[in-house]
Amino acid sequence: MLAYTLRTLAKMVITLFAIVTLVFFATRLSGNPIDFVLGEGITKEDRELLIAYYGLDGSVWTQYLRYLAAFVDGQFGLSFLERRPVADVVAERLWPTAQLILSATAFTLLVSIPLGILAALKRKSWVGSAVMTVAFLGLAVPNFVLATLLVLVFAYLLNWLPIVGNGTPAHFILPTIALSGLLIAALTRFTRNAMLDVLSQDYMRTARAKGLKERRVILKHGLGNASITLLSVIGLQVAGLAAAGSVVIESIFAWPGIGQLLVRSAILRDYPVLQFGVLTVAIAVIVINAVIDIAYAYADPRIRLAKG
Amino acid sequence: MLRLLASTALISAALAGAALSAEITVGAANVSTYLDPGRDHSNVGSQFYYNSFDTLIGRNHDTTKTEWTPALATSWKLIDDTTMELKLRDGVKFHNGAAMTADDVVFSLNRMFQADFPPYQVRARDRFNNFAGAEKVDDLTIRVKAKRAEPLWETLLNLQQVMIIPAAYTMSLAGDPAKLEHDDFEAFSLKPVGTGPYKVSEFVPGQTIVWERFADFWGDKAPLDKVTVKHMPETASRITALKTGEADIVTNIAPDQLDMIDKDPDMKAFGAPTALFHVMIMNQNHPKLKDARIRQALSLAIDRDALNEALWLGKAVVPASHTMEEFGELYMPELKTFEYNPEKAKELLKEAGYDGSEITFDTAAGYYTNGLLATQAIMEMWAEVGVKGKINVGDKWTGNSPELMVRNWSNPMYFADPFGSFGVMWAPGGPSQSEGRFNTDDAYAAAWEKFRFSGDVELRRAAYAELMDRVKADPALLPLYRPYEAWAMKNSVNWQTKPGHIPYVLDFRAGSISFN
Repeated sequence: MLAYTLRTLAKMVITLFAIVTLVFFATRLSGNPIDFVLGEGITKEDRELLIAYYGLDGSVWTQYLRYLAAFVDGQFGLSFLERRPVADVVAERLWPTAQLILSATAFTLLVSIPLGILAALKRKSWVGSAVMTVAFLGLAVPNFVLATLLVLVFAYLLNWLPIVGNGTPAHFILPTIALSGLLIAALTRFTRNAMLDVLSQDYMRTARAKGLKERRVILKHGLGNASITLLSVIGLQVAGLAAAGSVVIESIFAWPGIGQLLVRSAILRDYPVLQFGVLTVAIAVIVINAVIDIAYAYADPRIRLAKG
Repeated sequence: MLRLLASTALISAALAGAALSAEITVGAANVSTYLDPGRDHSNVGSQFYYNSFDTLIGRNHDTTKTEWTPALATSWKLIDDTTMELKLRDGVKFHNGAAMTADDVVFSLNRMFQADFPPYQVRARDRFNNFAGAEKVDDLTIRVKAKRAEPLWETLLNLQQVMIIPAAYTMSLAGDPAKLEHDDFEAFSLKPVGTGPYKVSEFVPGQTIVWERFADFWGDKAPLDKVTVKHMPETASRITALKTGEADIVTNIAPDQLDMIDKDPDMKAFGAPTALFHVMIMNQNHPKLKDARIRQALSLAIDRDALNEALWLGKAVVPASHTMEEFGELYMPELKTFEYNPEKAKELLKEAGYDGSEITFDTAAGYYTNGLLATQAIMEMWAEVGVKGKINVGDKWTGNSPELMVRNWSNPMYFADPFGSFGVMWAPGGPSQSEGRFNTDDAYAAAWEKFRFSGDVELRRAAYAELMDRVKADPALLPLYRPYEAWAMKNSVNWQTKPGHIPYVLDFRAGSISFN
C-alpha cells in the first residue's frame, strides 16, 4: 500500500512539473507582457528598461532556471498586472469558482439522477421519450447560449434574478443552471443507460423474488450498482468543468472566479499568475480525481478488495 | 416671506439630504489592476484617477477651450524663462489624514521629473523630458525648473502623471519607512492615497473599486456618498445590470447596442467620439514599402467615411489631419493631410511600379472595437485599386518588427495638445522611430523643435502644419477615425463625460452628476 501511495505521489509530482514547464515555455514563446499591455507607445530603449525591471531579460532558459529556483523557495512571484503575490491573486479567485462548481454539481445530481431513473423505468412510455428528447436537445445547446437566454428572460425581461457577481444566494441561481445545462443533459442519459444495464441483471430479479418492495429494489440494488458507472462520469465531468466550463459563465455573470483570471492572464501574458493558476487548477483536478477514486472503491467492493 | 424662506430652506435641506445619501454602482468593462496615476497612461486607468487625486493646476472640464483653474496651487507665475513658482493651497489634507506640505508636492513632481523607478522613467521621458526638477521655497511655495523655455507649463502640470501623493505615507509602505524604494511605489499602486473628493476605501485589482466621500476635501464636497465600480466584462450583462438594479451607470457600450438602450424606457445612453484615433501604420523601411508612393496609395485607397457609416453608424469622426477639437488653439481642421482618392492611388501604384506582391496587415482580433472588421473592409478597398492585401491576425505587438508592413494601432490623446497625441508617438526618436518603422531627418526635427518649444501659438501652428506636410509626403500612418464610445445609465441618473477631460474619465465630482 505504501509503495502504491508513493508511486501515485511521484506520478503526481511529475505531472505537475510537466504542466508548469509546458505553461512556462508555451507562454514565453508567444510574446511577453511588455508587447501586450505594459508597453504601448514606448521607445525601444524603454522597452528594454521595462523588460529588465519585470525580470524578463535573459534567455528563456535563464528565466526558466530562475523560475525553478524561486519555485523551490516557495516564491511564485508578483503578478505583472496586479503588483502583488500571485498566491494572493489566485487564492482570491479560487473559492468563488469552487462554490459555483459545487453548486452546479449538486444541482446536476439532484436533477439528472431522478430524471435518468425515470427515463429508464418508463422507457416504453411517452414520459421516457420526452425526457430523452429534452436531454438530447440539451446536449446541443452550448452553455453560453443557455446563459444568455437565462439572462435575457429572468433578468432583463422579468427582472426576477440578479446577474452580477456572487454576492447573495440569489446570485447563484442563474449561473448554476447555465453551468449545469449540458451536464444535466449528459448525466441524465448516462443514468438512464446505466440503469437499463442494471435492470436486466440477475440480481435485480433475485431482489424482486425475495419479495422486496419495488422502490427498494430500484434505489438500493439498481441505483447502487449503477452508481459505479456514474461516479466515473461525474468525476470526469467535474474535472472538465473546473478546467474550462466555467470560463464563459464567469464572464457573463461577472463571477470573480479563476476562469476569468486565467483568460485575462493568458491574453495579457501575466506569466506568474498563469503559471501559478494553472498549477493550482491542476492540483485541484488531481485531488478531485483521487477523491473520486476513493469513492469508486467504496461503491464497488470488488475494487476495494482488490486494492486492499 | 419668512415662511417662504423657511420652506425653501427645508426643501433644499431635504434635497441636499437626498443627494448626500446617494450611492451608485458603476459596471465597468475593464477595472484597473493597479492604481497609480504616475505610472499609468492606459485608457482603463484614466477612468479612475480624477475622483481621488488632484493636480497643482486644474482645468475647466466643461469645455474643450483651455481654461486653467487653481487646484492644489492657488496661483503660479514665471520667475524667468525656465522657472515657475507656484503658491500652494493651505489646509489641504490627504485621505490618510496627513496635511499636504510643500515636501509632498516636491516629492510627487520629482518622482516623475527625476524618475528612478523604471515605469516612471518611461512616462517621464515621453512627456516631462524638459523638466529638471522641483524644489521647495517655503511651506507654501515651490518652484519648478525647466531645462529650456517651456510653452506648455500649465498643460504639463495638469497631467495625471503629476497628481500629488503623500511622501511619508508612500515611503512607509515597503522596506525602510525612512527610505524611498521601488517597492514603495509598487505598494502604493494597491493602496493609493490622494487629496481628491473621494478616497479609495476598497480596491480589489481587476474587480472592484469603492470610493467614499472624503469629508476633509479642500473643495466642493463630493455629491455621492459611495461609488462602487464593479468589473462586468460582457456588454449584454452590463446593460441587463441596469435593469436588475445592479448598476446605475455602465461603460463601453458599442454603437450597435445603442438601439436597444434607446428603445428601453428605463435607461438612456450618452456617447461621444473619443479623443483617440484608431490608426493604420505603415513601415517606411520595409523593402516593399520603401517608395512613399506605395504608402500614399495604400492610404488614398481607403474610404474612411464608408468605414464610419458601416462600422460606427456614422457616429465616429473621420479626421482630415492628425488633429482634434480638444487641442484648442492648435486644432487645425483646415489641414488636408489625409483623403480618399482611389484614382490617384491607382496612378501612384503604376508610377511606383507596384509588382502586385502581397501586403500584409497585422491586426489583433479583439483589441480595438471593430478593428478586424475595418481591416477586412480595407482589404476590399485595396483590392479595388489593385493591391493584394492579406490579414495577419495575432495578439502580439509587431510594430517593432522589421517584417512589419501595415498594422492597426491607436494614438490616444494623453493630454490636450498635439504634443500629447501625435507628439508622444511620432516625435523624433520617439516610439515609432525607435521601433524602426518611421524615419525623421534634420528638417523634420527642426519643424518638431518649433512646434514643441515655440512660445508663440502661430509659430506652433505653422510648424505643426509643416509636420503634417511631411506626413502627407512620406506617410507612416493614416488616422482612420475617432471611435464613438458610449455609456448607458438608468433614466434617473444624469451624468456625462466632460469634453475637457482626457478619454474615459469617470468624473463624479461636484456638479458632474445629479438624479431625477
